[in-house]
Amino acid sequence: VETDLAFNALADPIRRRILEILSQHEECNAGELAEKVDEVGRTAVSGHLRILRTAGLISERKAGRYRYYSIDPSSSAREVVRLLQSVFQTSLDRLKETAEAANENGEAVSPETSASLKAM
Amino acid sequence: MGTLVLSAEQYLGVRPEEVFALFGQGERAGWLFDARCDRLAVGSTVTLTAPIGGEVGVDLLGRISALAPPGRIEIVHDQPWRGKIRLTIDRHGEGSRVRLRAELDNEGLDWLIRLRGHQSPDPLSADEHRIGVMTSKSGPGSVFSAATSYLAAMAVDEINADGGIGGRTARLLVGDDGTDPGKAVVEARRLVQAGCRVIVANTTSASFNAMATALQSTGLLLVHSLMNEGGGSGELVFRLGERPGAQLEAAVAPIMKQSGGRRWYLAGNDYCWPRVVSGVAHRVVNHHGGTVAGIAYAPLGTTDFTPIIEQILASSAELVLSTFVGADLVAFERQCHAMGVRDHARTLALALDEPTVERIGVDAAAGSYGVAGYFTALGNEQNIALLKDYRSEFGRWAPPVSSVAESVYEAISLYAGAARRAASDSPRDVARSLRSGRFHFPRGEVNIENPNSMQQDLYLAQVSDGQFSIQQTIGR
Repeated sequence: VETDLAFNALADPIRRRILEILSQHEECNAGELAEKVDEVGRTAVSGHLRILRTAGLISERKAGRYRYYSIDPSSSAREVVRLLQSVFQTSLDRLKETAEAANENGEAVSPETSASLKAM
Repeated sequence: MGTLVLSAEQYLGVRPEEVFALFGQGERAGWLFDARCDRLAVGSTVTLTAPIGGEVGVDLLGRISALAPPGRIEIVHDQPWRGKIRLTIDRHGEGSRVRLRAELDNEGLDWLIRLRGHQSPDPLSADEHRIGVMTSKSGPGSVFSAATSYLAAMAVDEINADGGIGGRTARLLVGDDGTDPGKAVVEARRLVQAGCRVIVANTTSASFNAMATALQSTGLLLVHSLMNEGGGSGELVFRLGERPGAQLEAAVAPIMKQSGGRRWYLAGNDYCWPRVVSGVAHRVVNHHGGTVAGIAYAPLGTTDFTPIIEQILASSAELVLSTFVGADLVAFERQCHAMGVRDHARTLALALDEPTVERIGVDAAAGSYGVAGYFTALGNEQNIALLKDYRSEFGRWAPPVSSVAESVYEAISLYAGAARRAASDSPRDVARSLRSGRFHFPRGEVNIENPNSMQQDLYLAQVSDGQFSIQQTIGR
């Protein structure tokens, strides 16, 4: 059941965007998150945060009148998604090394790589 | 149910044509988990070894489902979870941009969560009747179990379309033994805890025996559905499936006659089933005027069979009886072909089935014999209907149905029938009603006489052009 919840939580593109932002920042409050998510307004972001928290994917900390959100490190689904993500990214990094080593003139056209959770 | 999508991206200073050309060439190419395939063509099987879950990694078994050189490769895979990987290669300046998009379903996520040692609680609800299936979603057995969980799901759907069991909805829970007896016990306990009333084991005898011992006091019904050496059955323990004695009696004489060979070499994995087969083979071979030139075993998970193949070549055997299973059987047969065994000897492999043959490959599998109670090629109406339903449910790229997979469909149907007849929740009552009967299945008529015996017709089949053709039917 925990998996189902996490799965449903992850199935939404806005919630994945929120997780992506939280994975790059230690902690954010709802206002900061709403600023970074262009697609929907602050009320909708609050709704998504509640779903992510129920699914055990993020945790909430209250300080004064603010609530801060961070990725729950104990979240098993999140850990698995991160693992798979890194395994796939590493496979492309290895391909780059091998292919470029095989090609004498091989030089990276663009050194930057990007990986993100995306919705279907 | 939704699908989880992961994506990754990388820029390479190499033209798309060159990046594309590297695909499928294994370790040296560096492509996606050392992707290996014999032919870069739509429909070809492909194996990717993902670096997750221990030192050896996990084999993703799939096939190429779409190909557009040099821009796109799509792979669908069925083991250890059902997923799809799309690779897109675009020109980017003087080089290329490679994008990867991987989809997995809820069951795949669950499997990965368990692999990482996490629990996902799944409380039993009062309107469910849980049926456990133990299969090999990983390890060498994942090759022969390729279609097992799909056939199990079909059986459970049919039960529910037919009103469930005793007013409850049948629900399938799948365990993965990793082709390892220790892991089989851990996973079997999980299924017991989750409230399963039966475990249908579609695993090696090594895993089955370990589960039978560990579950003795749980009062759970345990059914071994695929080919096995028998023994150890009891009030709550059933062993169905093909028996080595019947398989060898069906195959040995016709193969000796067709090939003119008399000297056999027996080679297999080192666990109970192959060892029992060797004992029986001695008797059957001698009975038909043949001799045994040698016997050799290798542990499950072996990838290099050179020493055994050298012994086979040195023995001047004209026939090889192979009791390797799954990925080991694939590696052994491919190496036999590469080392020239085919020039001197024909092979009979008791566990040779459709998903194994397609991974051995058209050239290396040519001429080998299998003997089982079911082959996809069977032309009876029930089998044609089963295959039609299977393809419409799981698509054209799903692995071929084999005796192993069909046996789990049968065992679940048999269990549901017995539970309905018993009209009781007690596994003992259900077991009593399962003890005897005559049934019609896609493999034909089967006759259960006691918990240690299921009579069935056997078919001797030979591989040509990557497909089995049935040569003889051997009646019960």
